Amino acid sequence: MVMTMDVRFLRIDSRLLHGQVTTNWAKVIKVNRILIVSDRVASDRTRKTLIIQAAPPGIKTNVITVEKMIRMYHDPRFDLLKPMILVEDPVDARRIVEGGITIDSVNIGAISFDTTRVMVTDAIAVNPADVAAFKWLHDQGIKLDVRKVSNDSSKNLWKSLSEKGLV
Amino acid sequence: MTRREKVLTYLETYARSMDQGVTTSELSEAIGVLRPNVSKVLNQLVREGRVKKTNGRPVHYFVNHAAGKDEMKMQQKPNIGFAGYARIRDPSTKGEVAAKKHEVDVFKSMIGSRDSLKNQVEQAKAALLYPPHGLNTLIIGPTGSGKTYFAHKMYHFALDRKIISKKGFTTFNCADYAHNPQLLMSHLFGYVKGAFTGANADKAGLIQEADGGMLFLDEVHRLPPEGQEMIFYFMDHGTYSRLGETAKVHHADVRLVYATTEDPKSSLLQTFVRRIPIIIQLPDFNQRSAREKLQLLEQLLTLEANRIHKNIRLSEDVVQALLGSVTYGNVGQLKSNIQLVCAQGFLNSMHHKHEITLLFNQLPPNIKDGLSNLASDRRELGNLSRLLEPMMVIKPDAQRGTPDIDSYELPYNLYEIIGDKAALLKEDGLDQAAINHFVMTDINLHLKSFYRQGKLDKTIDGLGEIVDQEIIELTKQIQRLLQERENYPVRDQFIYAMSLHISSFIKRIQSGKPLRTISADLISMVHDYPVELKIAERVKDLIRDHYHFPIPESEVYYMAILLVSLKSEPKTGKVGIVVAAHGDSTASSMVRVVSQLLSVDNIAAYDMPLEMSPKVALAGIAAQVKRIDQGSGVLLLVDMGSLSTFSNKLIEKTTIHVRTIDMVTTAMVLEAARKTALIDSDLETVYRELREFNGYSRTIEKVQQKKKDVQKRSDQREKAIIAICSTGEGTAKRIKDLLDKILVDHLIDDITVITVSLVTMNEQIVKIQQDYQIVAATGVVKPQVAVPFVSLEDLLQGGGERFVSLIEEIDNHAVYEAETFEHSELLTKEMSQNYLGRYFTFINPGKIVNILWGYCDFIQQRSQSKLSNAFKISLIMHMAGSLERYLTRSEMRVDEQRLSRIRMEKLYPIVKQANEILHETLNINLSDAEVFYIVELLNTEKEKSDTQNN
Repeated sequence: MVMTMDVRFLRIDSRLLHGQVTTNWAKVIKVNRILIVSDRVASDRTRKTLIIQAAPPGIKTNVITVEKMIRMYHDPRFDLLKPMILVEDPVDARRIVEGGITIDSVNIGAISFDTTRVMVTDAIAVNPADVAAFKWLHDQGIKLDVRKVSNDSSKNLWKSLSEKGLV
Repeated sequence: MTRREKVLTYLETYARSMDQGVTTSELSEAIGVLRPNVSKVLNQLVREGRVKKTNGRPVHYFVNHAAGKDEMKMQQKPNIGFAGYARIRDPSTKGEVAAKKHEVDVFKSMIGSRDSLKNQVEQAKAALLYPPHGLNTLIIGPTGSGKTYFAHKMYHFALDRKIISKKGFTTFNCADYAHNPQLLMSHLFGYVKGAFTGANADKAGLIQEADGGMLFLDEVHRLPPEGQEMIFYFMDHGTYSRLGETAKVHHADVRLVYATTEDPKSSLLQTFVRRIPIIIQLPDFNQRSAREKLQLLEQLLTLEANRIHKNIRLSEDVVQALLGSVTYGNVGQLKSNIQLVCAQGFLNSMHHKHEITLLFNQLPPNIKDGLSNLASDRRELGNLSRLLEPMMVIKPDAQRGTPDIDSYELPYNLYEIIGDKAALLKEDGLDQAAINHFVMTDINLHLKSFYRQGKLDKTIDGLGEIVDQEIIELTKQIQRLLQERENYPVRDQFIYAMSLHISSFIKRIQSGKPLRTISADLISMVHDYPVELKIAERVKDLIRDHYHFPIPESEVYYMAILLVSLKSEPKTGKVGIVVAAHGDSTASSMVRVVSQLLSVDNIAAYDMPLEMSPKVALAGIAAQVKRIDQGSGVLLLVDMGSLSTFSNKLIEKTTIHVRTIDMVTTAMVLEAARKTALIDSDLETVYRELREFNGYSRTIEKVQQKKKDVQKRSDQREKAIIAICSTGEGTAKRIKDLLDKILVDHLIDDITVITVSLVTMNEQIVKIQQDYQIVAATGVVKPQVAVPFVSLEDLLQGGGERFVSLIEEIDNHAVYEAETFEHSELLTKEMSQNYLGRYFTFINPGKIVNILWGYCDFIQQRSQSKLSNAFKISLIMHMAGSLERYLTRSEMRVDEQRLSRIRMEKLYPIVKQANEILHETLNINLSDAEVFYIVELLNTEKEKSDTQNN
């Protein structure tokens, strides 16, 4: 059997690693690594430092680019990693899945509102690029699971997008 | 003061016995009176019998204690040592009264109390005398710098001044029970019957025992956080509870003195440190002046002279070797080295009734090395030489050499053991040489086993994981034999490098792999080193005798090369670095980070509190420049432009070439340390290159421009770390495995570890550089490449992790942003506001940030734990999220079971109170589920800082 990296959890959240992740997800999902995958953060020293400092105790945390994430996924030296992957937006999530990373569900925590976006739920705002990426993910059969923390009841983002007439 | 008084006072202080005697010119220099005038006064005093002089040249003068008591009493009588000794020294009632009348100051007899320890002594006195109960004190200093000794002096001072009511100096070393916090706490605080299994009766703790006296807690950084909390509760209230009790019902009045070798900022709870108003920093041995070093040596020798009741005679080069042999262990190491050579001298001079002689050629190799260590520091050697006479004689002197209780004191009389043993062997008919050999082995053993429990034995734990214990033992045996029989000096690295070498060789033989061939290169190289070749032959024989199989001749050559490379490299020539910055610890914290990362020794810091005058700063910086200069000039890195004008003044003052760069950052210090790590780098080149580096981080445009440039020119070569061992096969491969693992752990996939053999190292490196960009090096020797290097010992003792982090940082051109904003509240607030704007929709960042900042401060104050600025940002963001969820009616939900659990938490009421701030200002009441997440976030952070502290 060929072993590969076992990606336990993929989450979209504009704020990446923060309270909801450290106090909840990091405790309920058994991972040995938190990977923050974002080209923007990887080149922003200050944000990188802040995010790493917010890491929960006992779990190593790294900030890497999307390209490196994909490279590592296919490199057998990293097969033993059981990571949780955090990305800022659905576009990066799509790039990761396109790069070959296998996952059957994407968790969406929050996507911050800005002038290009409209609110879909109380915490999630999307723009056309986000919608296209979500559509692509949905077409791959990947579940779009909306939960802030693990004990929230799961909502399907696809349903909300449909109700809003966005897809 | 008249000239006569000046002379008398000086002699009273520094020349109290024959062996302390001073010459006319020393005296003239010290008190600033012309030599002929000093000479006149001295002759007068000798005639009066107040001062005695030695026979022979140069003449030394010292105080004659038998005369002039009355007059002495009238002049501020100085040092008598401990109060008790006044009686020993001066049995008349008159003397005793005199001693009491003039309050005895035990600190005065402490070497350096007027010089390098002046401030420290004043701090200590202030701490003890501060009404009504004194101030808690923390003594910081490196291993062996005299923390216990200093605490003892404080105790005696307190006793003399009747500050403490009870005799008793209770010592507790927190490291002794560090693996068992419960046991540690029960020792300190006591316990009640039934508190734990085996607690059959109530027991009082050390705190109770020390009631009315002084309690000294050594290595306090090993006290677990809950212990620190209990201690600081005790500091605040004077009450405590025993283990198993719920109420704090016991009361004790204890003077607390703590000591640690660690930086209290990172090793102790900040709430704990805040309760200690007095922090006394003891200097390194090497920071002390030549005169003090010599005084310390004399005092320690006097101690031994008292033990053996004989004079100790030693020549100038023995003194220098002893002083130079102090590498990392400070006065403690000096003490143990002196014990070792005195034991040896005692053995060699058994037949001599009144005197033992310490001869240079009989010193153990590691102490002989001291002479060359010292020789590489010309300035220090010069200072010392001025104070030294060709021959020094130390006489027993009960007043000075009284041992204090410290961990460097042997628990038995070594000299008696030596005497008995030698007598026994003589009866057995052994000749003197054999006796000496046996006994010396014994002495080494005694001292070693003693210091192993103590502090001076470096651990070689990491080695045991990759090399069989048997091989380590064999290597140690080889090391001993080389030192004792061949008189071949071997250093600390030897055990590492040699045992790894032997290990890989044995593995190779066992696995039946073909033997290594010898190249012509190797043979010709080795023949330049006949001594090492001969020693390698010996080592080969030893290995053969141990394993009972023949060792091929090729191994001899490889081992010879290994031995050559293990000889220490000369210490001269590196460009020095001095970092000077405003603030209490800005400069030293930058230097600390860099010297930890790179383990370099050519860097010094100078902190300038804001109120410091430029004149004082200039003098202080000049002193650091002098200290760090190795003959190649000094690079001065400063934080502000005004300091950059110091260059010329410094050159004038020190005659050392100085170049200054301003706007110092940690990254720049790192870069400077890297660039100067090479012996052949010169000041001008380093300066030029660094100025460019400086421009790099100054403005954003420049950074971007530079980044583009870098990318354009960017190295297409793959990155590599080189690992060097004697053959490039055995050890280096293991290092490669080790590093590969760490690299993968750091998710670094673009650095290759390449093994290199010592024999053709330079050629190989040139070749590697054609295809690779070498970013770091490790192994048995340091190659001449301008990259960070980590020694084998460091790597095996867990330094690999740090090493890789460093490579990562340099690779990223890391600027330590984190540090800069940890120091700036303004920056943190700005950043929070910026992020609030970016991530939240409904709240107004400009208005909310101050409220949430106040919220953080409130939590910080009430929970008595310092929140880092990074965490404050996290908390502010989280709180903003809470507020938005409240506003959008989408608050978090948590089940009742967890809610009821959180209500028991210590932080719960604090968060509830803090939420009042939100209620008052914004009229918002957060639900308990939201409170749950805030408490969880704070708990997670606390857990994290606790694990980091341990």
